[in-house]
Amino acid sequence: MDCEKFDRIVLDLMYGELDELTEAAAKRHIEHCSRCKGVSSGLRATREVGAIALVDPPDSLELGILEAERRLNASLPLRKKLGRGVSILAVYAMRPQLAMAALLLLMIGSTLFFLRGRPGARDSVLITERGVPETEVEHVAIRPAPRLEPSEAPAAAATSAMPKLASAKNEAPATREHDGDKPSEVALGAAETAKDSEPKGAATEAEALPGTEPAADSMDAATAAFQGGRYVEAQRRFEEIAARGGSEAPAAALQAVEALRRQRGCPAAAPRYAEVHSRYRETPSGNEAAWQAGDCYRALGELSQARQNLEALLEVAEYRSRAEAALQELTAREEQVASAKKAKAAAGAAAPAAGAPLPAAPPAEVKAKPKASP
Amino acid sequence: MVRYQRGDRDAFALLVKRYNKQVYNFVLRQLRTPALCEDVTQEVFMRLVQNAAEFKHEARFSTWLYAIARNLCIDQLRRLQHRRHPSLDQPLGDAGEGRTLGDALAAQHPSASAERAAVSSQVQASIIKAVDALPDDQREVFLLREIADLPFKDIAEITGVPENTVKSRMRYALDRLKQALCEFEEYARALR
Repeated sequence: MDCEKFDRIVLDLMYGELDELTEAAAKRHIEHCSRCKGVSSGLRATREVGAIALVDPPDSLELGILEAERRLNASLPLRKKLGRGVSILAVYAMRPQLAMAALLLLMIGSTLFFLRGRPGARDSVLITERGVPETEVEHVAIRPAPRLEPSEAPAAAATSAMPKLASAKNEAPATREHDGDKPSEVALGAAETAKDSEPKGAATEAEALPGTEPAADSMDAATAAFQGGRYVEAQRRFEEIAARGGSEAPAAALQAVEALRRQRGCPAAAPRYAEVHSRYRETPSGNEAAWQAGDCYRALGELSQARQNLEALLEVAEYRSRAEAALQELTAREEQVASAKKAKAAAGAAAPAAGAPLPAAPPAEVKAKPKASP
Repeated sequence: MVRYQRGDRDAFALLVKRYNKQVYNFVLRQLRTPALCEDVTQEVFMRLVQNAAEFKHEARFSTWLYAIARNLCIDQLRRLQHRRHPSLDQPLGDAGEGRTLGDALAAQHPSASAERAAVSSQVQASIIKAVDALPDDQREVFLLREIADLPFKDIAEITGVPENTVKSRMRYALDRLKQALCEFEEYARALR
C-alpha cells in the first residue's frame, strides 16, 4: 500500500469500515510511513477532541412525541386508517406460513364444495335404472316414481312401487301370461318394495324403489335376468340369495317362485308359493306369496287350497279387503259348482256325457290394482 | 419498526426512547436554535408515524430517520434565513459577563460523559463553536457521522452525493476542526 491509497482509506480505517485485509495492510503501512502515521494520529486526535457531547433532550419531548402520535392516529381519516390496516394485513399476508394455511383452507373448501351429497335426495326426481343389457332392450322409458299419500302407500306398494318398464321385449311375456298366469311384475315390485319398506314403513316408499339404494349385485343381476325373460337364470340367482338368508331372503324366495311360475305355470308354482308363505309368514313377501298361492290355486280350480291361503290374509290389513272379495268370489264359484253337481244329479244317467265336470272357469281378475297408479 | 408496522404501538415508544436523544442533538447542532429543535424533533417522529406504512426496510431504519431529520432541518434553515437569529459568538449581554451563546449551550450539558464532564466549559464551547463554524455540507456530514453514527455509504445516500465526496467533506471538516482545536490535541493525547 502506498501513501496515496492510504489517504483514500484513512477515514475508513479510523471509523472501522475497512475489511480485515485492507485494514491489516493499512496498519502495516503506518508502521513504516511516518507521514501517514502522522496523518492518521492527527485525525484520530481531532476526532477525539472534537467529539460532541450529547445533550439530554427535555423530559417533555418524549411524552410530547407519544402524545402527538396518539392524537395523530386518532385524527387519521378513515381512508388512511384503512390503508394502514391493509398494510398491517399485507405484512402478515406475506408470511409463508399464512400463505400455506390459506392454500390448505382453499383446498379443503373446494373439496367440500365439489363433494356431492348422497344421490337420490328425497325431494329430487328419482331416476331408476334397470340392469337390462342394451342389446336386449330396444328402448326403455323411465318414469319418475309417483309420490303417494301415506294412506295409499301400503296398497299401492304391492303393485306400483316399481316403475314400469315399457319394453317391447318385456311386454310379450306379460301379455302372453295375462290370462292364465298373471304377470308377476306386480309381485316383483311388491317384493322389492316390501323388502325395503319393512323397517321404514310406507312413508319412505320412495326410497324403496329399486336402483335408488345400493343393493347386492346378485339381486340386481337376478332382477335383470327376470326382466330380461331369462327365468331359469333368475330363479337360480334368487334361490341363491334366499339360501344365503338375510333381509333379502323373503323377497328373493318370492321372486324365485315367480320365475318358476313364468317357466312352468301355476301347477309348479302354487305349492312353492304356499311354502314361501309358511316360511316367511310375518313378512310382506310371505303375505304376497299367500296371495299369489291363492291366485294360482283358484286358477287351477283347487278352491279349498285357494280359500285356505286367502283366509290367512284376512288378518293382514293390507290384504284384507282383497282377500274378502276373492273369498266371496270363491264362495260364488263353489255354489256354482255345487248347483252344477245338483243339476247333474237331477239329470241322472240319461245324459252321462252332460255330467262331465265343468271346465275350470278362468279365474276372475281380482281387482287388486293400486288406487294410485303412476 | 416491523413491530410498529404491524400495529404494535409500544414499539413506537421504544423507537422514541432509542433515537430521540440522537435526533434531538443532530437537529440542535444543525439548527443551532434550542427553541426550535424540540418542535423539529417531534415533527421528525410525526413524519415517521405518517409514513410508517411506506417504509420497505430496503434501507436501515436509522438512515431513513435521519433523512427525514435532515430534510426538516433544511426546511427550517431556509425559513430562518429570513430572520435574525443570535450568533453563537454574540455576547449574551451585561448579565452574561462576557459569555457567548456557545458558552451557554456548552454549559447546558450536564449529561455529557464522565470524560467530557471533566473537560472545561471552555473546551466544550470551542468544540461547538468550531463545529458550528463548519460549512453546511461539511457540518452535515460530520454530524451524521459523529452523532448519528451512520456509515459513509448511508450518509452518501441521505445527502445524495457520491461516497467519495462524503469522505472528502468529512476529511475537510476534520482538518478544519483540527486547526480550530489544535490547542486541545495535546490534551487529547494526554487522555490516552
